[in-house]
Amino acid sequence: MPELTADLVLKKIKIGEKVERADLRGLVLTRAVLDGASFRRCDLDGANLEGARLSKALFKNASLREAFLAGADLREANLESADLEGANLLGAKLMGANLNRANLEGANLQGADLSGARLTHAQLASATLGGARLIRAELAHADLSETDLSSAKLDEADLTSTDLSGANLEEASLARAQLRDAVLRGAVLLRADLSGADLRRANLSGAKLEGALLTGARVRGLVGTGGPVVGIRAEWVDDSEEASRAVRVTGAQIAELLAGLAPAMPAHKRYFGRGDVLRNAHLEFNTGAAVEIESLFEHCTIALGEGTELVIGKGGVLSGCQVQGAGRITIHGKFVEREGPGIVGATQLVVSAEGSLVGAVEQAHDLTRFGFEPGCHLRVQIIQAKKERSTKGGKQS
Amino acid sequence: MIPMQGTQGRKTLVEEGTTFKGSLSSTCPVEVKGRVEGDVTAPALSVSASGSVHGKVKVGEMQSHGELAGEFDADVVQLQGSVKDRTIIRAKSLEVKLSPAEGKMQVVFGECQLEVGSENREVAASPRPNEKAPKGSSVPPEGAKGASASDAAKGSSVRPPTDANGA
Repeated sequence: MPELTADLVLKKIKIGEKVERADLRGLVLTRAVLDGASFRRCDLDGANLEGARLSKALFKNASLREAFLAGADLREANLESADLEGANLLGAKLMGANLNRANLEGANLQGADLSGARLTHAQLASATLGGARLIRAELAHADLSETDLSSAKLDEADLTSTDLSGANLEEASLARAQLRDAVLRGAVLLRADLSGADLRRANLSGAKLEGALLTGARVRGLVGTGGPVVGIRAEWVDDSEEASRAVRVTGAQIAELLAGLAPAMPAHKRYFGRGDVLRNAHLEFNTGAAVEIESLFEHCTIALGEGTELVIGKGGVLSGCQVQGAGRITIHGKFVEREGPGIVGATQLVVSAEGSLVGAVEQAHDLTRFGFEPGCHLRVQIIQAKKERSTKGGKQS
Repeated sequence: MIPMQGTQGRKTLVEEGTTFKGSLSSTCPVEVKGRVEGDVTAPALSVSASGSVHGKVKVGEMQSHGELAGEFDADVVQLQGSVKDRTIIRAKSLEVKLSPAEGKMQVVFGECQLEVGSENREVAASPRPNEKAPKGSSVPPEGAKGASASDAAKGSSVRPPTDANGA
């Protein structure tokens, strides 16, 4: 028998009294309005709080083992170090809730909304989170081993150093999520979206990646799957130490890198380091080469073969230079033209937030794909490819 | 999505199938699903995929999925859709998302000019103050707002817009 009846609890809360350290096991408070109530250190094992309004409620160190909280509104509730083992939180609203160090082992959180919730060091082993929303949730150091996260939304979530061994992340969305140092041993990532995710030093041994989207993922130092990786979708991944996108890996090398079977650096890598100065030089780079410039180039001409990657690093400056050819150019540093057009025929031109481009760009015949990040500095004249200037997309209607 | 500024969620809407010609000044955000030919002044401008704006525009925030032509001054710009010939976009911040290699173009640029970022931002290796701009340079010097289009045109085949409709 609980120490207090449901009516007594409701009365106490109505007059603003705290209900702390009470034995409330098995209490039925379905759909009760308990916003802001304090249940600190209470024993609510097996209690029924289905559909209850508990936003900003305090459950710090409370025991809610096997409690029924389906559909409960727990927005911004404080459940720090609470014991929710085996609790049913199906479809619960937990946006912004504090679940740091909470025990959710085996809990049912299917369809729950945990966007922005704090779950650092939380115990979620074997929990069910299928279809749950965990956008921007903080899960660093949490135990998510054997957890079902299929179709869950984890975009921009912080999963640094989490244990996701054997977790099911099939069709989960992890775009731009932080997975540094995470353990994904044997995890199922089939058709998962890992675009832009930070996987540096993550352990992917035995993980299944078929159909996963990995464009822009940061992969430096990751431990590969150890077996062939097939069917992944990725235009490029970032293999730079500082996730600066300065070292892009493309093509078949991505699969080899993820498998842990190949050196990360492209075979035709050319690097011009800091402190070097090149003047009045003519350089040609063949198809498939990857060129990174951290030096000062003055009055140079650079010819890029088809698909060649040219990255002007943060320290790189191209002054008075011309870059020609169907390459892909990324500017993190500075490109300043003296005599236009400075860039001719590039298939792709990206200027990052730190990048600066002053010059004219003559587009490729099939048009250039542009990417400009907020914060970039541009004084750019875009012109059409010479032969097709009168017919291409920019024609005035 | 740029959150629309303004009070009480009000906005000025030019609906699909509508063509507005003339000068439009609003204290509310302006959303264009139809066609606007003329000058627009507003705190924010949103151009949908079916929308087009041809003219001189001065706004705080601009998001376009449609067609732009003319002269655009804004603080923050997010761009998709198309930018027509002889268009100038001046902004403190511009975002153009890179389209996938095999996918549809996020933005199709005609012959246009982009002036983005602080005019005072240092550009290493650019001409020193006492150094003359080199002959043949096809871009305006830093801070040459206003005169930039015509100056730039001298060094290239691009002509500046001659009226609000970019005609």
